[in-house]
Amino acid sequence: MKKILVLAIALRVLVAAFLFHPDIKTFNFQASFLKKGVFNIYTYLTENKKNLSLKDDFVYFPLTYFTLGVNQIVTSPILGGNFDAWLGNADSNSSVTDPNIFKYLLVLKLPYLIADVAIAFLLLNYFDDKKKAKKAFMLWFFNPFTIYIIYVFGNVDVFPALLTLASLLFIKKDKLIWAAITLGIAAGFKLYPILFVPFLIFSGKSVKEKFWLGALPLLVFAAISIPFLSPPFFKSTLVSGLTTRIFNPGFNVGFGESIIVGLALYAALFFYAWLIDKKPIQFNYWILILLIIFSFSHFHVAWLLWIAPFVVMLAVKKPSLSWPLFLLGIVALSIPLFYQDRSMTISLYRVYSTWFDLLPTPFTAIQKFFDPYNLQSILHSLFVGGALTVSYLIFKKGKSEYNRL
Amino acid sequence: MKKMILLTIVSVLVLVFILPVVLSLSLKMIPNNVQPGYNPDIRLSIYKARDFTQKFVAKTDNLTAIGLSIRNPNLKNKSDVIFNLYDSGVTLVRTVTISGMNLEDGSFIKFTFPPITGSLGKEFSFTISSPGAGPEETIEVFIINSKDIASGITEYSYLEETHEGGTPIVTYSKPQSRMSTVAGVYSNWFSRLLHLRSQKSD
Repeated sequence: MKKILVLAIALRVLVAAFLFHPDIKTFNFQASFLKKGVFNIYTYLTENKKNLSLKDDFVYFPLTYFTLGVNQIVTSPILGGNFDAWLGNADSNSSVTDPNIFKYLLVLKLPYLIADVAIAFLLLNYFDDKKKAKKAFMLWFFNPFTIYIIYVFGNVDVFPALLTLASLLFIKKDKLIWAAITLGIAAGFKLYPILFVPFLIFSGKSVKEKFWLGALPLLVFAAISIPFLSPPFFKSTLVSGLTTRIFNPGFNVGFGESIIVGLALYAALFFYAWLIDKKPIQFNYWILILLIIFSFSHFHVAWLLWIAPFVVMLAVKKPSLSWPLFLLGIVALSIPLFYQDRSMTISLYRVYSTWFDLLPTPFTAIQKFFDPYNLQSILHSLFVGGALTVSYLIFKKGKSEYNRL
Repeated sequence: MKKMILLTIVSVLVLVFILPVVLSLSLKMIPNNVQPGYNPDIRLSIYKARDFTQKFVAKTDNLTAIGLSIRNPNLKNKSDVIFNLYDSGVTLVRTVTISGMNLEDGSFIKFTFPPITGSLGKEFSFTISSPGAGPEETIEVFIINSKDIASGITEYSYLEETHEGGTPIVTYSKPQSRMSTVAGVYSNWFSRLLHLRSQKSD
């Protein structure tokens, strides 16, 4: 076990130290205000925008701010005195050529490593069958996808991913109230776990329990958010990627009205759970909700982490799905590589050399002989096709094979 | 599971050690300096006979491109923008023509030409002109009023007057070999990795 853990951590350290997505610097610059005593980051950034070197909004929910801020407070002796200057440095060249950058990246990604290892141990505890438990544990540690998503993109989504998995574990242990509370806490990092709440209600055994299963996540989320309620908070968080991308209109039905495909399918799933399934298996529905999101929205690569623990569980329960899921993972991961966004590809290597700025992005390179948007559409369509079949299999056998996870 | 462990190890090693080599091998030129900072309010207009001449000393061999920031206000200039490179003997050695239609306002433009062997330490000058453009279709270059050692700029001429400084440029050279580029990338990376400051707190 020790050797496995050391190897897994060593691989993560390599990626964490050498690959750099600029977002990690931006939101850690914002989180650095916690050690200066700033509680409400949303209003602070709006009021002080003129004087700040980086002028972006803080788009995450409050718990992300506090987690990253506390990490900086705890690790400040390691980070050293020049760290704040590095965070505030708006010059993209000198910030990547700083000799301390490897140390900074490692320390800033340390909370992700803790959450990542915690997910592995939750998976280990999820399965009653020891063989399956060990397989899930190993599969989480040794797959190229999660290492890439977490440590290359400095991915804060690992926190809500950990908490949604913990929530699922509570459901399995029949501690539904704790599952509801954990979902609310997860939403305090990122909003997406709220999507699971309507389905959690159906697990309640009485009307009273159903009420609390629906209300508790919202109350916890409200308790986390209320101290920050302000126009800057709404502007920064609610108008973020999740809401604008997931609820992106699909096809026009005339007179300015559109059908939002993802939302329509989500609603269909909800009514199916309510009217037909009655006692839905949470795992099946949660994974299906995420497959709907990835199928019908222009997703960020970081979002793929939301589904990663569930995919590992599915692969363990049904080994015949392992390679199809692996293939779907490759397709899903390759879609964002063809976005016209340097920071998704070439710029990740600026720590090695800023000379790479001269290289074209895959989008630009492909543009010379093929429409990159068409390529994205082809890949996304392939993913949707595969996701549909996986969804069908989960539904078809939902009550039997996939149930006893 | 052994296969998956092996696949993960190989993936990480490719990501961290092999891909940077592939990227380095793909570089056809390398920058010799960082573009000097400039005040965006200090600019010179180029149109009709009003051309701009810049003298500079090449810092490397195999000079192959010169990059600079050019404004094209309201994207009005749709005429040819001509870049002429002269050696110290005022002999035209390279010409590059681009269309104003491809010139985004304020964008960084690279004038790329076949490499000039033996360019190291030699003085060159280049002119930028847009003779087909009228006074309403000007393009503009930014100006700094002092020499810059890193980029090699010494003086510029405009409207028959010569001043110290010039437009902030980046010069590019063709690498001596692909392996030298890989070595350059990795030596820079290792030097920072092994830098004592990165091993301890400040």
